Amino acid sequence: MSARPMRRLGIVLLLASLVGCVSPRPSKIMSSDGRITLTYWSATNAQELEFANQIAAEWNARHTEIQIRVEPVPSGQSTEEVILAAIASGTTPDIYANVFPGAMQDLLDARAVVQLDEYPDFFNVMHERMPPELLEQYRSFDGHYYQVPWKSNPVMVLYNTRMLREAEVPTLPATYSEFLAAAARVTRDRDGDGRTDQWMATIDYYPIWYKRLFDYYPLYLAASNGQKLLDNRRVIFDNEYSVRVFRFLHECFTRGYIPRQSFQGDVFLDGRVAAKFTGPYSISQLERYRPADFEYAYGPIPRPDDAAGQPVSYADPKSTIIFTTCRQPREAWEFVKFMVSKQNDLRLLELTSQLPIRAGLLEDQTFADYFKRNPKLVKFAEQLATARGIESIAELKEIFDAIAQEVEASVVFDLKPPEQAVHDAARKSQQILDVE
Amino acid sequence: MRRFLLYAILIIGAIIFLYPFLWMLAATFKPEIEIAGFSIIPRQITLESYRLVFRKIPITRGFINSLFVAMVVTASVIVFGSMVGYALSRLRFRGREMIFTLALVTMMIPAQLTLIPLYTMMVKFGWVNSYLALIVPAMMSSYAVLLFRQFFLSIPQSLIEAARLDGCSDWRILFTIVYPLSKPAIMTVAVLTFMGVWNDVLWPLMVIRDPKLMTMPLMVTLFAVGGQAEARLGVQLAAAMLLALPVIVAYIFLQRYLIESIASSGMKG
Amino acid sequence: MQPGRANRFSTLSKAVAALRTRLHGHAKVLRPNDSLTDNTDRVGYLMVLPYILHIAVFLGYPLAFAFVLIFHRWNIYTPMKWVGLGNIRLLLSDPLVWRALGNTLYFLLIHIPLQLVIALGLAQLLNQKIRGRAFFRASYFLPFVISGVVVTILWQQLYAVETGIINVLLQLVGLPKIGWLTDRRFAMPAIAIMATWKNVGLYIVLFLVGLQAIPSHLYEAAELDGASGWQQFRLITIPMLNPTIMLVLVLSTIGGFSLFIEPYVMTGGGPANSTLSGILYLYKQAFFFSKMGYATTIGFFWATIIFIVVLFQRRFVETEAM
Repeated sequence: MSARPMRRLGIVLLLASLVGCVSPRPSKIMSSDGRITLTYWSATNAQELEFANQIAAEWNARHTEIQIRVEPVPSGQSTEEVILAAIASGTTPDIYANVFPGAMQDLLDARAVVQLDEYPDFFNVMHERMPPELLEQYRSFDGHYYQVPWKSNPVMVLYNTRMLREAEVPTLPATYSEFLAAAARVTRDRDGDGRTDQWMATIDYYPIWYKRLFDYYPLYLAASNGQKLLDNRRVIFDNEYSVRVFRFLHECFTRGYIPRQSFQGDVFLDGRVAAKFTGPYSISQLERYRPADFEYAYGPIPRPDDAAGQPVSYADPKSTIIFTTCRQPREAWEFVKFMVSKQNDLRLLELTSQLPIRAGLLEDQTFADYFKRNPKLVKFAEQLATARGIESIAELKEIFDAIAQEVEASVVFDLKPPEQAVHDAARKSQQILDVE
Repeated sequence: MRRFLLYAILIIGAIIFLYPFLWMLAATFKPEIEIAGFSIIPRQITLESYRLVFRKIPITRGFINSLFVAMVVTASVIVFGSMVGYALSRLRFRGREMIFTLALVTMMIPAQLTLIPLYTMMVKFGWVNSYLALIVPAMMSSYAVLLFRQFFLSIPQSLIEAARLDGCSDWRILFTIVYPLSKPAIMTVAVLTFMGVWNDVLWPLMVIRDPKLMTMPLMVTLFAVGGQAEARLGVQLAAAMLLALPVIVAYIFLQRYLIESIASSGMKG
Repeated sequence: MQPGRANRFSTLSKAVAALRTRLHGHAKVLRPNDSLTDNTDRVGYLMVLPYILHIAVFLGYPLAFAFVLIFHRWNIYTPMKWVGLGNIRLLLSDPLVWRALGNTLYFLLIHIPLQLVIALGLAQLLNQKIRGRAFFRASYFLPFVISGVVVTILWQQLYAVETGIINVLLQLVGLPKIGWLTDRRFAMPAIAIMATWKNVGLYIVLFLVGLQAIPSHLYEAAELDGASGWQQFRLITIPMLNPTIMLVLVLSTIGGFSLFIEPYVMTGGGPANSTLSGILYLYKQAFFFSKMGYATTIGFFWATIIFIVVLFQRRFVETEAM
């Protein structure tokens, strides 16, 4: 015979655990009037959200049976982690617009993405946007396509041209020597208090893997004229190009051209720093917040003095995918087609100043007016032609993490010479790849 | 002279341990520029930091979540722990000593070892982002078992025999006779468990992503680490203050019990 | 500093258990009166059943699964991939694992002596006849009950290079500012000092209990024999407090190896990995790179190290029970 309090307690506990079972899940809504609502996750920055809301509104007005609901991506350590966590907990949206192609392998392994070349009009739509060779870069290992290449942001160097002019720097630097010479002139103590308060550039040197996509990797591509980091799971970046990049960055830090501190606020906008490694998306931000007399221009990624040919850079691409949890993938595909139409590519440019992955932007009449109004974007559109993407392997993050650790150790803290750092990064990366 | 030195050291010690909290409290009411100062009395009082916290994160929800999880787990640990403790100390059955040894052994397993496998289990069960992941793995504790067992051994056998002769089942004995006599042990287990669950961050960090389910410390952690506080010191400190407040309030009223229960149950047999 | 999930109980209850054992001999197992009927109390089985089930599912199975995971590569969503000794090989040659180990030992080297000296010192002082003992005791104990997150956020401000109170104080006495969290040499010591501040209250209380249990006649006898205060301390107090000292050692060690929230919030493991802790690295491997197999391998390695260190301490520090 159980004691009464015992039974009561047991019931309370049972109820408590049942309450816990009711965890919130986003509903794949199919309302009673047969309307379908698809969830679309957009990046959280204001410009992209505005873009998402506008195209969703336009679509929703024209298609009453299929409605799009825009939600910003939930916050977390990184968007990749958030997506994987969503897959694990079954809370994925239907469409997601900010997938990093380098992370596609994880999604493929999880069987989370819809195979898009199943749709008969896939190749038509894609080839209208880009030549087959360009599309080829986005083909997955099994030969199929699971992503729609959407936008790309080539990384270049943003310069405060007034600061350069005041420091008597004649042209936008293009090589290491030019950059270092300019840096020597720009970096100084402006207000005479004994401490430097004006620098050439700033880099977020915290060893977070994706930060290196904006400094080390573009520099490496520029120095090596587009050579890859890996070749069939063998590390090949253990070469003179990497060493030169490390040495260049090391020089910048040692001489104080790049400060070893973190700042509150935007130092570039404040005019305390003359250069920044960034993409075209900075333009819309700059236009919104800059003081009236702020002048800026974009230059190529610095490379060794003896480099030849068109300067190469890294283009930070993002693709759009449809999750396999979507119950109406066909309708989702219709929306995705709409999203990458010419009109919306123009809208993307207008609202976010990010480049759609579309060939012939500069020759196409539709965009001519835009580029006339925004000449600064022309450089990016040109860079797009020689911009490289990135390998899509499962270990990508770890390899960049290894590189980031070595950059911090050698370049920032001077704990080891550049050759040693590159070698250690390569060795660690190879060990990671060899675990299999 | 010696006494003066003695008190001086003790007072300096008290200042070292208390002043930072007072400073933090004051800083949450100061406007951003004033925060750098020493003073624990703000020159200008502003509620802006707190307002921002409440606007940015559902911290009251976090508080309720923490309360709910901590209470359920504590109740569960006490009930099941006392059951096993009673069985191990008062009942005879085959394998009793083995289970006692088992409880001792389980205490030696470091959490680091089972952290990841347990997490993968949560994923597979579909418990990620649910209260289940926070409650169920923590529902029982070997420490509670051993603590209760130790305590129950000191309860006179005659009491139990008498109740048995009266026809009481052991369930009845445990909950109606032993419990009232075990207030110190129950208090100790309650306090330790509650504190442990309330302050735990690593596990909730791993299993909870949805802000609606986050515990309070987790919310404050992510708030401090993520960019939401916009690098404003007052706001971060305000969030921390809100997290500390319930504990401090409870502490002010219960610290005697808390410290004494630890100290005195060390004295008991 | 919060020990891991399963260890959150250990801090205080181990204190209780050990003290009780010390002061009153080992627990006597009272056997129910054998003259009663010989039947087995079946109720016992029912009472322990939920517990056994729980242990099997949430402790036993993960433990067994851990041993499987070590030999695989797995990111949860895809089938496990056998890698044999690959993870172990990677771990042994992974400079960051050894870095984390070194960091932890560095942490303990500062934290433990600091803690012992301060706790014992203040406990001694509190043990005198003074007024307001309860108030002092409560003040010292307060940081211990406060969440580690709060303490970390608070000290992050105290350690701020330009505006933090600690540096302001240093400058007042003419010392240079220190980059507490930005300088590789000082980041770990900074965390060690903070951890001491947070936990020392517990040990003050424990030492106080231990001190009060020392029979005064021992001191009186020593006084008569002409022993000085320091000699009395060395020959009576310390040996009698050995179990408590042992406890401080073990708990602080486990706590040091379980360091997570402090580096996670304050430094992210930097600068230059000088505050990378084992658990932080484990967490990064699991949640930044989805390497469950490797993360489990790190966990296994870490647990082994803890085991060895505690064994070591028991062997060389613990004296026989009197």
